[in-house]
Formats: sequence, C-alpha cells, structure tokens
Amino acid sequence: MVDSRVGAYADALFAVAAAEGNLAAVEDELFQFAQALGSNDDLLATLTDEAVPAVRRQQVVEDLLDGKASATTSALVSMVVAAGRAADLPAIVTAVVERGTASRNKAVATVRSAIDLSTDQRSRLEAAIHTSTGKEVEVKVVIDPSVLGGVITEIGDDIIDGSIRRRLNQLRESCR
Amino acid sequence: MSQRRNRLAAAPLIAVLGLVALAGPAGASGESVGGCMAEHLNEAIEENHGDYEHTLHDEGVQSDLEKCFDAPNPILPETNEVIWGALSFGLLFFFMAKKGFPAVKGAMDARAERIASDLDAAEQAKIEARAVEADYQARLGDAKGEASRLIDEARGAADQLKVDLSARAEADIADMRERAAADIESARQQAIADLRAEVAGIALGAAERVVQSSLDAEVQGRLIDAYIDEVAGSNG
Repeated sequence: MVDSRVGAYADALFAVAAAEGNLAAVEDELFQFAQALGSNDDLLATLTDEAVPAVRRQQVVEDLLDGKASATTSALVSMVVAAGRAADLPAIVTAVVERGTASRNKAVATVRSAIDLSTDQRSRLEAAIHTSTGKEVEVKVVIDPSVLGGVITEIGDDIIDGSIRRRLNQLRESCR
Repeated sequence: MSQRRNRLAAAPLIAVLGLVALAGPAGASGESVGGCMAEHLNEAIEENHGDYEHTLHDEGVQSDLEKCFDAPNPILPETNEVIWGALSFGLLFFFMAKKGFPAVKGAMDARAERIASDLDAAEQAKIEARAVEADYQARLGDAKGEASRLIDEARGAADQLKVDLSARAEADIADMRERAAADIESARQQAIADLRAEVAGIALGAAERVVQSSLDAEVQGRLIDAYIDEVAGSNG
C-alpha cells in the first residue's frame, strides 16, 4: 500500500518535472532536499505534524527553498507536504531519481562526501565507476561531515568506501 | 461355704449347752460343812424326839458332825460328777464326731485343696512369669541387638554423610576457586580490553581531531581525486 502510494507520487512528480523540461535539475534539487529532510529531525517533525496547518507547512517549504531551488521543485515538495506525505518524501524522491536515471538508461550512484564534488569530479567519478563496474551511472552527492574526508559511493547494494572514517574505524578495530 | 462355717460355729455352742443342761448340782457330791452339820443335827434331833441337850451330848452325833469337817478327795471327783461328765463327754464326742469333725475336716480339706490349688496356681504363675521374663529377656536382647545394629547403621550413615559432605564441600570450594580465578582472569582481560579501547579511543579521537584540522578544501579535493583514481584503477 505504501509502496504503491510512493510509486504513484513518484510517477506524478516525475511527470511534472519531465513536462516542465528540467527533469535533471529537479531531480537533483529534490534529492538534495530529501537528504536534508532525512538528516534534520526537527524539520521532518514540523512537516509531518498534523497539528500544523498545511498552509503553514507549505510556507516553511517555500521559505527553505526560496532562491535555492527551481519553482517546479518548490511546488512539487509543497504539494507532497500539503498532502501530509512529508514522511514519505525521501522514498518518493528516491523513486523519482530512479525513474529519471532509468529513463536515461543509467543507475544512481549515491556519493557521500564531506564536501561537494565539482562537475569535473562528478564526471570523472561516473567514468571511473563505468570503467570499474561497467554501469552507466549518475552521481548524486550527499554532503555528510561524518565521512571526514574521501568518498563513499553506493550503487544499489554495492558500496565503495574510500572515506577517512572507514580508515579510522579500521584503525580502531585493529587497536582492540 | 457359709453353711459349713455355720456348722463349725454351732458345734461348740451345742457342746456348751449340753454341759450346762446335763451338769448336776454343785453340791451333790460335796455339800458345805454347815449344811452337813445341820442335816446331821436335824436327823439326830428327830431321832431323839426334840431333845436338844441329849442330842448335843450324844457321841454318835458328835462323831457324825466331826465327819462333816473331813475334806473331800481333791483328786477323785464324786461319782455323780464322773457319770455326768462321762455322759457329757460321750454326747459331745458323738456330736463332734458326727457333725463337727466332718465339717472341720471338710473345711480343712477344702482349705488344703484351695491352698494346694493356690500353690499350683502360684507355681503356674511363677512358671508363666519366668516364661514371660525369658521372653522379655529375649525381646530385650533382640531390642538391644536391633538398637545396636541401628546405632551402627546410623553411625555408618553419619560417617558416609560426613565424607560425602566433605567431598562435596571440597568440590564446591574447588569449583568456587576455579570460578573466582576465571572471573578474576575475565575481569583482568576485560579491564585490559577496556583500557586498550579507552586508550585507542583517546588516540583515535586525537587523530580524528588532527585529521579534521588538517582536512582543508585542497586536501579534501586531493582525497576525492585519489578516490576517483582508485575506483578507475580497480576492475570489478
């Protein structure tokens, strides 16, 4: 039931973004917002609180995305939040991204890094992943300070961990 | 029984009544001197037709009066007493032989028989008492033997229990000592591991802070480039 609902919302958002003609940018903005929502419990609690009027929750979304995302992205997020499905937004966005990359015959590579990757680095990483795995991917960057340094790439169930955090954890394990 | 006792009591009573009834007057064979003299004087006065003086001086009368002073034989009773006594004795003897003696003999026999029976009963009781005593002694002996056996068994069981408890206590002590040693060793290992983890945590925390302070944008960029090169260099 939840999966079908998430799928329906993802189809709707994907169709709107495609109709607006800026699918890749909307995907990326939605992805960034979903990541921010997943890492901010207060924001998630506010947007999922039924006691808060839908208009107020929409206003919060518009204030957050004003000037940082396209009008399409802001409208889509506002719509989902007003419908009371903010808790499902990360799953909906993931489904939208998967549909977008699939429409381009690519897979999603979620990259966690302490800092954002440059356009060059993204393209080089996509090429390196293609070279390594044979898959055509699109990199989606998640800023995660806990990584400390380096990159963690997730492609489906595969994880390529080259982070400083992993090395520190290995060092910690070796000390036991 | 009471009839025989009544007969025994009646026999002497009948004898006494016979003696009293058949006994003659006391003076029949030995009357008093005064009476004797008065009797002789009366007879002499009647013979002399009332002449007192002549009668008193008559030598024959005086001789008869002097005879009144003669004492009767102290040993030989008067003839009438002998007759009366013999008759009384014979009558008494007859009654005693006919009634008293059989009654007394019957009573004596009954008493002897009863005494003999009592003696037999006493002997029987004595035999039974001895049998009971022998049985009692035997039972006492058995009880003493049983008690001795039970005491020996109890003592043996107590000794065995003592040995078992001692062995169990020693085993428990050894087990407790072993567990205590294991606990001590485990605690020591845990303390070492905790200390090592603590030291590692401190060292890694320090290292993390050093790394964070040294990871500026340029270093981060180089790390990402190195990662990309590493992914590109790996093959599957």
